[in-house]
Amino acid sequence: MHQEPVLTRSFRVLTGIVLITWLILPLIPLAIWSFAKGWFFPDILPKTWSLRAWEYAFSDTSGVIDSLWLTIGISLAATVLSILVGVPAGRALGMYKFRGKEAVELMILAPTIVPGIAVVLGIHSVFISMGLNNTVFGVILVHLIPTLPYMVLVMAGIFANYDPAFEAQARSLGASAFKTFWYVTLPAIMPGIIVGGLFAFLVSWSQYILTLLIGGGRVVTLPLLLFNFATSGRNDITGAIGMIYILPGIIILILTAKHLSGRSGAVGGFGQI
Amino acid sequence: MKIFLLLLPAMSIIVLLFFGGLLIGLMRSFNYMPVIGLTDPDFSAYVAVFTDREFYLSFMLTFHIAFTSTVISSILAIGAALLLRRSFAGRAIVNFLFQLNLTVPHLVGAIGMLYLFSQSGSFARLAAEWGMITKPSDFPALVFDPYAIGIILQYVWKEIPFIGVIILANMQSIGEDYESVARSLGASKWQTFRYVLLPLIFPGVLSASVMVFAFTFGAYEIPAILGANFPAALPVLAYRKYTDVDLAARPEAMAMAIVIAILSAVMIYFYVRYSRRRVRG
Amino acid sequence: MTHVSIKELTKVYPGATEPSLDRLSLEIPTGELTALLGPSGCGKTTTMKMIAGLLEPTSGDVTFDGRSVLRDKPEHRGVVMVFQNYLLFPYMSVADNVGFGLKMRKIDPAEIKRRVGEMLEMVKLPDLGDRKPSALSGGQQQRVALARALIVQPNVLLLDEPLSNLDAHLRFEMRDLIRSLQQDMGITTIFVTHDQEEAVVLADRVALILDGKMKQYDAPDAFYKRPVDEATARFFGGHNFIEGSATGTRYEGAIGTLQLPEGVPQGPGKLTFRPENLALGADPSTPNTLTATIKDKIYLGTQTRLKLSVGSQIIDIITNPNQVETATPGQTLTVTLPPEALWMLNS
Repeated sequence: MHQEPVLTRSFRVLTGIVLITWLILPLIPLAIWSFAKGWFFPDILPKTWSLRAWEYAFSDTSGVIDSLWLTIGISLAATVLSILVGVPAGRALGMYKFRGKEAVELMILAPTIVPGIAVVLGIHSVFISMGLNNTVFGVILVHLIPTLPYMVLVMAGIFANYDPAFEAQARSLGASAFKTFWYVTLPAIMPGIIVGGLFAFLVSWSQYILTLLIGGGRVVTLPLLLFNFATSGRNDITGAIGMIYILPGIIILILTAKHLSGRSGAVGGFGQI
Repeated sequence: MKIFLLLLPAMSIIVLLFFGGLLIGLMRSFNYMPVIGLTDPDFSAYVAVFTDREFYLSFMLTFHIAFTSTVISSILAIGAALLLRRSFAGRAIVNFLFQLNLTVPHLVGAIGMLYLFSQSGSFARLAAEWGMITKPSDFPALVFDPYAIGIILQYVWKEIPFIGVIILANMQSIGEDYESVARSLGASKWQTFRYVLLPLIFPGVLSASVMVFAFTFGAYEIPAILGANFPAALPVLAYRKYTDVDLAARPEAMAMAIVIAILSAVMIYFYVRYSRRRVRG
Repeated sequence: MTHVSIKELTKVYPGATEPSLDRLSLEIPTGELTALLGPSGCGKTTTMKMIAGLLEPTSGDVTFDGRSVLRDKPEHRGVVMVFQNYLLFPYMSVADNVGFGLKMRKIDPAEIKRRVGEMLEMVKLPDLGDRKPSALSGGQQQRVALARALIVQPNVLLLDEPLSNLDAHLRFEMRDLIRSLQQDMGITTIFVTHDQEEAVVLADRVALILDGKMKQYDAPDAFYKRPVDEATARFFGGHNFIEGSATGTRYEGAIGTLQLPEGVPQGPGKLTFRPENLALGADPSTPNTLTATIKDKIYLGTQTRLKLSVGSQIIDIITNPNQVETATPGQTLTVTLPPEALWMLNS
């Protein structure tokens, strides 16, 4: 394109700086609070700094660590189940044409758009009679509602670009059905499983209302704990938990940055986080 | 048959949990639940909801939150995408920071906004430092406020990168050649944007906006942290009704959930109409 | 009516060490149809974009009728580019696509409608104005793209591989359409292509660009008769390169002594001739006959290709299949090399 005038370029740089500042701004007070020991109006920065909030967060009594493990466990379980169930469904949608495919696609798309609150009240009133309310298993099950569709969509995209002739070639070379899957199919779809799995993990990781209702206050994941501290005015501990809570997302971003094109169905998952 | 078996587990989960949940909600909203002896469906919950002033205020507020957030985020996201599509020094870093808050849950963003914009928050302190206010209550109410400014700020914060990343990918797959054609046919930069780039990215913008609208209409924890007590956003109101000590309020909560679901169904219609069927990859 | 001249045009992309285009100079007279020919990545599309103002040159100049246009914005240059994949705006009807340039100039809608009708008539698609581009065939899309470009009456028309996406039977039809429109309107036209056949059938003059540098700028037949070097000859399908040297019109070298045409480059180099310009059998009007042994015979349907050995050299020749039906490898035969079929390449 044409050489840009200095003015245009400066405007570009300036709006870039404003944008980036705005994007990281809300995380700054959270980080400062976690190291503050009393931070009263109108101090711009805390008068005294301390690691008290972090010590508390990592102590046995606070329950933060227990909650962290619980949240990791629930999200991992939801991810693994999504992979196991989502890969076959993705294969069906990505590789075959069949009657009613549009309807199936629509049914899988619906949970990615309909908010959790619209379905969880109904689920809650059924789970009561099944004894699933207030259980970790019940929470894992409802987390599948937002995680599974993304897994299916990502895998459908992967399988749409996958040539099943490789499998036929392997079978004709004498590989069993299982060996074909293990040595041919799985390596080909692995990138999709990893990206889709990481997204499923993050989507489950960020669930609030589903856990709140189905967990009934007994299953206290990290976001519930964070919400409780935030609304009870413990800003320093909220800051520390907040920092712990966003860590997996940042790690996952670093791991997947190069796969993150908006063209992937997975990016839609960010809408749920 | 093979296709059926491949789809069976996933579809069972989605049908039983998602559509089952919807159906039960629908039945309960009509006070119809044969297993617990409710065999005469009626409209009493809907009558109660639709004659309640709080519901209307709540619905209007929620619509305002979702609509305003979506429009502002979409416009700013287009701007951000235009900015990020040009190569410049340090773009990789800017891109990374742009994507960073995609991974930060809304709840954390909401708490951050609370600490930034509350009357004793960072901006109030800066205002005090510069002598614009003397006590916290002088600072304008930007959270827990009737216009939901804090909530909208949070959504805008979170959704600019979300919509932006989708538009950016959209722009990359479109390439710059259409714009080159337009320029060589005599279109100015503005005309090129208005008549060529905008129509080309419009379906992408719309399908991302639709997801954002549905999400912001139905999210619970953000208005719960940043919103006023009255009127509360619809999901907050529904949750309150559902957990009310008076179990008779539950069908009303279900009716509100159904209202949210119907609105989402409208959004799905737009999404399917305008998205280029992402499902097929 | 624009004389385009390109002076020492150079483009080095940011971060690249080698220039994508290295000091290209070209004069394109008013109303001529010129081809920029070269393999992909040789810098020809870069050149077009710089002429159109879509890309900034690193150094050098582009002038229209002697006036530098480098500071003109693309929309003010009067240069229209037609891309290889046509790039019709998919959300607009055919008529809206064709009228796009006029709409950008804020011309009255009734006038636009009238001129779009005329233009569609000219490209022989009068009834397709209401269709969407996706409903058209490739050839029809190309005509619409051409109409969209010509309606703004550009000074210079740039075409990117105009025939390469078309089926063989459509190519000549499109070639005729482009030539007749270009000649009627007298628009200076430059097109780029990697296909020598496309360049030869369409252009008045061809500029061959190899490795970012211009090799030869000439009428199409010159590339067959008088190539400047081996790379140029090879690009146009040349096969025969034989060591030797020229003194006046006399060649002496690896296949003996031969008579050369007037004006061949002098001194040591390589003798070249096209396989299709040799004749089997002796011709009394010329002393240029050789005795050769058939090494291999390749039947190609409408032609037969023979590999012949002359001393230690192998030469390629293409003949009519009927002429060599009974020939078999090992046989000896006589070939004539008419002087006008020979050319020397300096090393």
